[in-house]
Amino acid sequence: MKRRTLILSGLGAATALVVGWGVMPPRSRQGRADTMPVVGGEVGLNGWIKVAAADGHIVLAMNRSEMGQGVHTALAMLVAEELDVALDKVQLVQAGPEKLYGNVAGFVAALPFHPADGEPGHETRVVKTGQWVMAKLARELGINMTGGSSTVADAWDVLRLAAATARAQLLGAASLEWRLPAAELVVTNGVISHPSGPQGHYGLFAKAAAATPSGDVTLKTAKQWTLIGTPAPRIDLQAKIDGTAQFGIDVRLPDQLYAVVRHVPAIGGSFGAVNVDAALGLPGVERVVRLGTYAGSTDALAVVGRTYWHAQQGARALRIEWRAPPAGAVDSAAIDQALERSARGAAASGGGFTFYSRGDVGAASTNAMRRVEQVYRAPYLAHATMEPINCTARVAGGKVEVWAPTQMPGAARAAAARAARVNEAAVTVHVTYVGGGFGRRLDVDFIGQAVRIAVETGGRPVQMIWPREEDITHDFYRPAGVAVMQASLDAQGMPIALAITSAGDAITPRWFERGLPALAAPIDTPDRTTSEGLFDLPYGIANQRIGHVATKSGVPVGFWRSVGHSHNAFFSECFIDELAFEARQDPVAFRLALLKESPRHAAVLKLAAEKAGWPGFGEARALPTGVARGVALHESFGSIVAQVVELSMVGGKPKLRRVVCAADVGTVVNPMIVAQQMEGGVIFGLSAALYGRIDIEGGVVRQTNFPNYPIVTMAESPHIETHLVPSTRPPSGVGEPGVPPIAPAVANAMFVLTGQRLRALPLIG
Amino acid sequence: MELSINGQMRTLDDAAVDPGMPLLWALRDVLGLTGTKFGCGVSACGACTVHVDGAAVRSCVAPLSTLAGKRIVTIEALGSADQPHALQSAWTLHQVPQCGYCQSGMLMAAAALLAKNANPNDADIDAAITNLCRCGTYPRIREAIKTAAESMRGKAAPALKPASTRNA
Repeated sequence: MKRRTLILSGLGAATALVVGWGVMPPRSRQGRADTMPVVGGEVGLNGWIKVAAADGHIVLAMNRSEMGQGVHTALAMLVAEELDVALDKVQLVQAGPEKLYGNVAGFVAALPFHPADGEPGHETRVVKTGQWVMAKLARELGINMTGGSSTVADAWDVLRLAAATARAQLLGAASLEWRLPAAELVVTNGVISHPSGPQGHYGLFAKAAAATPSGDVTLKTAKQWTLIGTPAPRIDLQAKIDGTAQFGIDVRLPDQLYAVVRHVPAIGGSFGAVNVDAALGLPGVERVVRLGTYAGSTDALAVVGRTYWHAQQGARALRIEWRAPPAGAVDSAAIDQALERSARGAAASGGGFTFYSRGDVGAASTNAMRRVEQVYRAPYLAHATMEPINCTARVAGGKVEVWAPTQMPGAARAAAARAARVNEAAVTVHVTYVGGGFGRRLDVDFIGQAVRIAVETGGRPVQMIWPREEDITHDFYRPAGVAVMQASLDAQGMPIALAITSAGDAITPRWFERGLPALAAPIDTPDRTTSEGLFDLPYGIANQRIGHVATKSGVPVGFWRSVGHSHNAFFSECFIDELAFEARQDPVAFRLALLKESPRHAAVLKLAAEKAGWPGFGEARALPTGVARGVALHESFGSIVAQVVELSMVGGKPKLRRVVCAADVGTVVNPMIVAQQMEGGVIFGLSAALYGRIDIEGGVVRQTNFPNYPIVTMAESPHIETHLVPSTRPPSGVGEPGVPPIAPAVANAMFVLTGQRLRALPLIG
Repeated sequence: MELSINGQMRTLDDAAVDPGMPLLWALRDVLGLTGTKFGCGVSACGACTVHVDGAAVRSCVAPLSTLAGKRIVTIEALGSADQPHALQSAWTLHQVPQCGYCQSGMLMAAAALLAKNANPNDADIDAAITNLCRCGTYPRIREAIKTAAESMRGKAAPALKPASTRNA
């Protein structure tokens, strides 16, 4: 009999567990007890949990990258809760490359279904079928991805069940040894005891537990939680305040070299004549490596040196000639015009892919008293993670080792194998702390580059670092977008039809092509990210047609924190504000009137309005002269966020003083971390709203570093407060949903003060 | 070349460094003190902030030739888990870091501020802390600096309850 069958029969199937649908029955994601390698008296109980025999502490296989969003803490909390141990008794080890550790929830959420059709427990047949197929596919593929604000949603049932099952096995073992009923045993911080006296920590029962069936396992109810829902301190905090946290760039190995990359300036270009003599003549410069292209990167040279600085001096001394790509150099102004033509053309003809439709927009607009049409636009954006792009690699003895701040360890492994021309089995990927991801590190271009360099260094490890200028000029950018927004109004000025036709590059197919080429589809299928934030609006407008024209502009585009929502929320929530103005209604009251089908959205909006002292809601707070409020409401990654900003105009620039943020993120695992993410989302989104733009001329990105790609500073940061709507739903996204509402909220407040509608990002600069 | 780093005289092999090399790379790539971070290389982000004779200095543009005889202090010597600097205690209280990459520089900039201004107001903090943070930890940094200033002036720190976390 196969071991898997044994485990399943041992678990018994008498009691049905209450588990969320959409991510498949989590029991099959428990993994075999020998999945994790054991060291020093550890005992594996399933694919996620080991118990240390010596002191009973828990070892958790950590399959997600910590890049600030707090998932190491949140996932450890889930396990500590069900095992009844303190958070500091959970030790993390990096999960291996097994498919068990792949992301299911993140891929299911990528399906282009309208949220109203996928309400848990009330999914339409099409949604249910689609989710089932995608979940099955995702489990089979086992792609380990930290992204899409999916980590806690994906782990929610799986990790709690793994921990609860381990606990049941440990209690079962103690029960057998003591010959006392398991039901009479209690656990206090990992110590099992019985009122009659016997007690012992988990470690004493670990070995026996591995051979003990768990019996029926039930998860704790919300009322039984002592850790979930509390603002537990982050477990990564101490290392991040004393300088000991190891990011990718901090890896130090014996005999380590450093490499600095210099790409062809034009995106997609290639080198002509190259003279490396001056570089090689500099002290501390070891060699120059021609890189080629890896997973979507532009051709580049790498200078290897004794330190980063030596390598950088060499990189500056390179004399290069270069050529634009054969398809021609890209130009962002020309792309913007082309996108507008595409969107206007499709709006007129009903072209593009229709992501959502209800009612009859054509008939409704014929009957309308008035029509409103506006064109909105957004530029390309760079990620600018604070930790520059880097990767450390060692190629020796047929083995490849990679140390990387990555959101995709499996794709990184494959990229490393391709670059070194070895089997994936010969590659080990060590995931470090990630000094900001925001989607940039879902790409693995830099992994292949580093391994390629390490192939040339005679077995010495090499740490490749991109100067900031290479990062800003050779990113996978948030796509530029244009949307034609059309509304038809009735006699009262209320919208009876909404048509949105947007145009912009699809990200997902390009990402698969470069990062996961084995999974790339032969043709582009509709990419949810192009239209998310437009097709999935909560407003009960009876007639809607939301379509998108997916373009291929030639600019490398990637996932940027909140992805399509990052600009589409600006389009939709500014346009809704315009419609409120047309209807001569208060912006909050107008939205609420359209939210009768969406009570959760209405609750979030009301909470934000009350806490902000919006007139007519809660305790009204008078604003000083010259200060105005703006509001926006947006759902993304399953969570609903409303933000009210208060700002004044100082020297033609908005100066924010306060942001009130209300959110429904489902069950809250750690309210402190949720608040951090909302604050971070506001400030990240504010940088883009005020300043963010990447301009490309003749294939070359004009912005290069923080002085000309500014991000918001301390002095520009508002006071931010976060209020959470209590919820019993499973946890939904937290890392990204704070970003989308801030740009429209700011623009809407600026309109109150200036009377001028800004329909293009960035708002200044 | 000899440098005073974290209270110790450190000898840098003349073959490994040259006078034009910025301090950042001597710290990180020669001495292995990786707590000080590289962010921009042009003194724009402050991730590389250290103290030179007590003042906050961006080490990515501070050539070694300018540092002889000066006292250099890095994040590694600010405080430890057992003996935290008041700022580190406040950082814990307010749960400041997210990705954490900019935090060494933020702490060093804040420590230099508090060394010369025991009671900074918002404008003082805005003027002194021009470091960049992509995760958006600024509001918590502001509160933590005020808390640390208060505790350094001898008042007790408040109990652990991040001010901006509230359940409705």
